[in-house]
Parts: sequence; C-alpha cells; structure tokens
Amino acid sequence: MKFSSYLIPILIISLIAYSIYKKNNAYSSFVYGAKTSFDLVLTSFPYLVAIFIAVELFSVSGLSKLLSTALSPLFKILGIPLELSELILLKPFTGCGSLAVLENIFLNYGVDSYIARAGCAIVGSSEAIFYVTAVYFSQTKVKKFSYGIFVAIISSLLGVITSCLICKII
Amino acid sequence: MNFVWISFVMVGLGILLFKNVDIAFSTLLNGSEKAIALTLKLWAIYAVWLGILKIVEDTGLNQKIGKLLNPIINKLFGKTDPETHNQIAINITSNLLGMGNACTPSGIKAMKGLDKGSDIATSSMIMLMILNTSSLQILPTTVIGLRVAAGSVDPNNIILPTLIATTVSTLSGILLCKLFEKIKNKKLKRNKKLNNNQANLPPATTNVFK
Repeated sequence: MKFSSYLIPILIISLIAYSIYKKNNAYSSFVYGAKTSFDLVLTSFPYLVAIFIAVELFSVSGLSKLLSTALSPLFKILGIPLELSELILLKPFTGCGSLAVLENIFLNYGVDSYIARAGCAIVGSSEAIFYVTAVYFSQTKVKKFSYGIFVAIISSLLGVITSCLICKII
Repeated sequence: MNFVWISFVMVGLGILLFKNVDIAFSTLLNGSEKAIALTLKLWAIYAVWLGILKIVEDTGLNQKIGKLLNPIINKLFGKTDPETHNQIAINITSNLLGMGNACTPSGIKAMKGLDKGSDIATSSMIMLMILNTSSLQILPTTVIGLRVAAGSVDPNNIILPTLIATTVSTLSGILLCKLFEKIKNKKLKRNKKLNNNQANLPPATTNVFK
C-alpha cells in the first residue's frame, strides 16, 4: 500500500489524540456530527433524483452521443476524454449532479479506469460555479459579476485539463 | 439549473416518444432507483465524515487553522472589518477541511460584509467567489468514499491528482483575479484623469466644440 492509504487513518488518530489532550469528549462530538448527516442526505436526495432522471433520459435518448460528437474537436485540443463531457458540462450547475454522473461513470467504465480517475479528480477539484455564485451573492445587491464568471470558468477548466493530464501520469 | 433540467427532460422524453416509447417511464424509475442507491452510499460517507469534522470543530482546531490564514486573507482581500475578516477565515477553513455545511453560511455573511451596496461585484467579492468556486478542499472525502463503495483497488490514489488539480485551478483563479483587478484599477485611473482634464478645460473652448 502507498502512503496515501495511511493519510486518513493517521489524520483521524492524531485528531482523536488532540481531542484527548484538549479534554474534549470525542465520542459525543462524533455522534452529534454523524446525526447532522441526516439533514444533509435529506436535502440532497431530491436533487439527486432529479439529476439522475435527467441524465438517464439524456443518455437513453442518444443525446449524450450527439453532444460528445459535437464537442469532440474542442475536447481533443484540450486533451479531455469525450466520456467525461457530460460530467464537465453539468459540473458548473450542480454539485449533487456531478456525483450522480460520476457514479454512472464508475458503473460504465469501472472505478479504477483512467476515465473514472480523471472524473474523480475533476469532481474533487471544482465546485458548482453557477450554484455557488447564486447562493453567495443572494444576500447582496450585486447583479453584475464583472470578470468573476469568466475567471471562475477559466480556472475550473484549467483544473479539468490538469486532472486529465495528471491522471495519465500518476 | 431550472432551464438545464427542463431541457434535458423535455428533449430526452421528446426523442424517446419517437424512438422507443416503451422504455420512457422505466428510464425515469431507473434514474430514481440509482439516486436512492447513491444516497445510501453518500449517507454512509457523510455520517462518518461529519462526525469526524464535528470533533475538529469541538476541539477548536478549525479556529487555530483560521488564525494561521490571517496573513493570506490580508493579502488577498486587503483591508476588511474584523467581523468580515473572521467570516472569511471561517469560510476558507471549512472549505479546506471540506465542511460544506459550515462554509456556506459564513460565505454568505462574508459576502454581505464586503457588499458596498453597488450592483457591480467588487474585486474582493469576486476573490471570495473564486476561492469558493475553485474548491479548496484538501481531502476529497466524498469521492474517496464513493470509490470505496464501488470496490476500487486503491481508492486513495486519487488524493494526489485531485490536490494538484485543485491547486492549479485555485492559483490560476487568484492570479487571474489579481490581474483583472489591476486592469480595472488602471482603467478607473485613466477615466479619472480624462474627467479631470475635461473639467480643467476653459468654458470658452467647450462652447466652440458645441
């Protein structure tokens, strides 16, 4: 096993050790935190259903094939595999949705395939740009984002390209 | 998102009407079933990770990390009032640790604090937006969990690539922000100079041009 497999267990051991040193009740903290997962799951479930239905219709109707062929020249230049086009197009709108698409990629290509690993890196390295922007600015009067959206799209596109490149090497 | 969803569903169902009506409803149910399966997996991941993150919060570790971030926040956002500064620190720390439910409220508060009442986003507002859209999370725990659930041989081998990709997207976002900020400031200065020059022109000449 590689170093990365040790990372999470070691982090948890040191965290609990720190908790003992701080005289904090780690057990009750953990239980309380685990309880909050209930709310998170309840709020994300309806979105997952909606996205999964849309994505299923998208692929069964043959639209995703059409889209991939339309995008293939652009993606070839950027070095992005076509199988990831759905993920990359949905990602800016919904975080839940990209998890749904990622799960589909696992089923279709296998978890340890290059496509799936690149997809993982893409999901892990970006957020739902439009969703986050809408939520964060919701309490302000701002209506124009100036160069904001442009920078957000460019930087996450760079993240996508890097993900695809790095997963080929590592 | 409404538009995206509607167009996916309408066009998809529309095509199925002509292509293969019989599978239309089963496709919907299929999607819903997959959503339930994924929700169960996500629940397992969230329960463990939110439990651990609560220990982080209760030991005050996240506040310590927040303090370490002070110089970086000062550099990125310039002068901000202490309350906004604090919210930005909470937002960035919870982002780094992947505490999704903690970073949104603090992000909204910080954005409100940075708001100057204009309808155009200021450069520090855009900086906060970019930090949040480019993802700062160090450990992609949800993705690792999904890989474990899908039976991956080495679910953790995604950590390093994700970290590199996140670093590239975040750094490029910050650099682009600073670049655009400089361009914008230069434009503003030039406009001010032009305005000043026009103001200094004697009234007689302006009349000639009329």
